[in-house]
Amino acid sequence: MNEKMIDLIIFIIGAALMIIGAICDLIGALGFIRFPNFFVRLHAATIGAIGGAVYPLFGVALVALVMEAPAFTRYAIAGGAFVTAIIILLIAPTGSHALARATHRAKVVPVYPKICDHLEEDRGEVKEEVKEA
Amino acid sequence: MISETYVTIVVLFVLPIFLAAFILYCIRIIKGPSVPDMVLAVDALSFDIAAFMGILALYFKSSLLITGAIVLALWAYALDIFIAKYYEKKELGE
Repeated sequence: MNEKMIDLIIFIIGAALMIIGAICDLIGALGFIRFPNFFVRLHAATIGAIGGAVYPLFGVALVALVMEAPAFTRYAIAGGAFVTAIIILLIAPTGSHALARATHRAKVVPVYPKICDHLEEDRGEVKEEVKEA
Repeated sequence: MISETYVTIVVLFVLPIFLAAFILYCIRIIKGPSVPDMVLAVDALSFDIAAFMGILALYFKSSLLITGAIVLALWAYALDIFIAKYYEKKELGE
């Protein structure tokens, strides 16, 4: 009785994580289509990577632990999914940040529908100060 | 142990949503106006395919499918870093 209850709770948490992850993934993909600008699309990329990949992988790890399968299969799937989730949690923000920094610095993409760009202004002021000195 | 039916129901509910998201990402990859847009879309698509492979491993009960996910995530990171390095210095280093 008690073990069955714990299995059911773990399964429900895992299934909820998987469904939340799928919905986050769809929202991120819609943002990729609808947003006007590369730097705005970074927000959608964050939803698609963290919400759409890390949550379902934690859900897979939890569901695989209580699944009806041979023990080796269960533990291998759970461990692999957990390691992949941790790796994506570490490398998705780093990669997006490196790409955004390099893009803004090389001026590959025009910041077209913009209200203000503080980073550009800061860089311009720094250059002027250097010239005056 | 949770019976196989419940796992299958959850997986079959989740799979179409993932496939719709993949199609939208592919539209952005094909018509993306600039290279960083495409790279960002490929990045997000690779991470989501890694999650998709995890879900497929649940569905087929195969421990071989999950080993590809780790490598796929690391390749997406390598692509990001290569493109960022190229735009920063206009070279790929040694």
